[in-house]
Amino acid sequence: MNQAQVHSTLPRETFVLGSIPLVESCSVLEARRKIHSLVSLVAPDSLVPTRLATVVSEVGKALRRLNPQPRIEVGLCARGNLPRLQLDFVGQLDSRSLGYLNSFFDHLEKDSGSSGLFHRVNVELSSSAVNSATLARLREIVEQKTRDQLLEEIQSKNSELEESLETLKRTRSAKDRMESELNIGRDIQMSMLPLSFPAFPEQGEFDVHATLYPAQEVGGDFYDMFMIDLDHFCFCVGDVSGKGVPAALFMAVTKTLIKSRAANDLSPASILSHVNSESAEGNDSAMFVTLFLAILNLDTGEMVYSNAGHNPPYLMRSRGELQRLENRHGPVIGAVEGIAYGEDSITLTPADMLYLYTDGVTEAMDIEGRLYGEGRLRERLKLSDYSTAKDAVGDTINDVWRYQGDASQADDITIMSVRYHGPVTQEGETELTLRMHNDITAIAGINDDFNAFANQHSIPAAVQRRMNVCLDELLNNIVSYGYCDEAVGDEHEIELHFRLLDSELVVTIVDDGKPFNPFGNDPPDICLSVEERPIGGLGVHLVKNFMDRVHYERHGENNVVTLHKQLHQDAQEHLQEHLDQEHEA
Amino acid sequence: MDISTEQIESTTVVRLSGNLDTNTSVPAHEKLDSLIENGHTHLLVNLRHVGFVSSAGLRILLATAKRLNGTDGSLKISNLNETVNEVFEISGFNSILNVFNTEEDALKDG
Repeated sequence: MNQAQVHSTLPRETFVLGSIPLVESCSVLEARRKIHSLVSLVAPDSLVPTRLATVVSEVGKALRRLNPQPRIEVGLCARGNLPRLQLDFVGQLDSRSLGYLNSFFDHLEKDSGSSGLFHRVNVELSSSAVNSATLARLREIVEQKTRDQLLEEIQSKNSELEESLETLKRTRSAKDRMESELNIGRDIQMSMLPLSFPAFPEQGEFDVHATLYPAQEVGGDFYDMFMIDLDHFCFCVGDVSGKGVPAALFMAVTKTLIKSRAANDLSPASILSHVNSESAEGNDSAMFVTLFLAILNLDTGEMVYSNAGHNPPYLMRSRGELQRLENRHGPVIGAVEGIAYGEDSITLTPADMLYLYTDGVTEAMDIEGRLYGEGRLRERLKLSDYSTAKDAVGDTINDVWRYQGDASQADDITIMSVRYHGPVTQEGETELTLRMHNDITAIAGINDDFNAFANQHSIPAAVQRRMNVCLDELLNNIVSYGYCDEAVGDEHEIELHFRLLDSELVVTIVDDGKPFNPFGNDPPDICLSVEERPIGGLGVHLVKNFMDRVHYERHGENNVVTLHKQLHQDAQEHLQEHLDQEHEA
Repeated sequence: MDISTEQIESTTVVRLSGNLDTNTSVPAHEKLDSLIENGHTHLLVNLRHVGFVSSAGLRILLATAKRLNGTDGSLKISNLNETVNEVFEISGFNSILNVFNTEEDALKDG
């Protein structure tokens, strides 16, 4: 011990590499390994590291035994011009370990600094050893974590992980909540739809089919269909802005408002105006719904409809034309209070089919983001000849799926189709269809056929004769003036449907002549000489007087005239006439 | 359309049978014209067996009446059924043409 030279004052230009703690039971071995590695890097010969490691091992044990916070601090210092590795054994040492130190090191310094008593030794380095790479490596070795340190760190990391897992769980459940809200919204949405088809198997006058495919994220489509009374079928398709529970509730409210209003109101315009006022009032979330609503009179085929900002539906005529019901009758429902919606009327003839859809169809995208498009849908409908509403829905939705391929569905897709079969005939004979060519002489035959039909069904003679006048007038008009721009001798067909309902006779006359509304203000017909022109629209005047209701529409390439005549009222007149005659006799 | 005529004093009674419509008006008109050309200028058209008259029929009756108005002739019409009467009423022909309930009434008049 006395061999040790003790300096109390030393130049201390030390470059600190780090501290090797000796707290843990295994740390002496660890310190030995580290010192060996350090010295191996910088010592001029291979004996030094081994011997030094042995010393550290012995001194380390003593340090641990005698001190509460034993450690070895490692640094570099310059002694003269030579760099040295400097080891400070911090803490009390016994004589045995001091003996080791003295036997090994030339200079054992003993001092007490800020960190307490220490014994310092120096190891001479090879001159080439010290460069920045070596310094980095030395520091790395000193700072190498012990297994316990690692364990401790892992434990603390674990608790951090657990914490973030909790956070993650909380985040997840928020996301779940959102997802489950979307799911609830979708459940409400789907639960509101009439999903079983055929929906009205007892109604032979029409057939309806609909389908709705909800998208994952957005879309609030809905549809509804119900009988208002025995003769009126109401159907609608809509698209609510938004998604989730709020949209679904808005949808439910709209649907309920429609149905309750329609129970006592056969006017789509009036229904929409009412529904709009109710839903726009206090609509703070500024939700709205596009809506197409129609009411079909199953006896007459007359369909009254109103469109509030929805995609115009298509009408596939039985004669092959595709018509788009372009008319709009007001803005979306729920946006502005106090709107008076309009409506239009169109008469369906048997086998006409209506096709309603939402923008999810035309805005379906293929994998490259190209839209399915209105044109593609139109072409599909134009080229197809569907015999049922289900066919129309099935074929078009399949075409959309084919087009979409592997792309994801962006928006709800809804399609509804309604096919009108015509009024149900109880004995199969309350309907009559007649056809004639554009030949004046064929008119009498039509009247004869109609009279035979009328006699079969006990239609009063007075009604027959009035109808005879009307047919003579209208058919004469069509044959004489409807085709004047055509080459003489061109053959055209005129089709007549007679339908006998409970108390009404409905006649539809369809011709493919030039557009002409006989009930409008007669435009001067430049094809005709003064002599040829009908005298002052007298014939049409007669028709209007004889019939209870007359209606004209241009359907694609066809003029369609519909005549309505109440039988009941005429039957009474007929009876009166009969009584009068008896009285006279 | 069947058309028969009977001369009763100065009046030629023309009895039509069938409907006076787009098609039958043409031969009916021809018949009336030929009667006038042959000096029968006092005509009584009996519609007893006519089911209906359309505007084409009205037109030939009006044309015939106009043609006879220019001479000292006359056109009377009788025996309109309910529908024909309605047609006459609706078109205002009741006030343009001389309409009688029966052939007898017409012959008695002036």
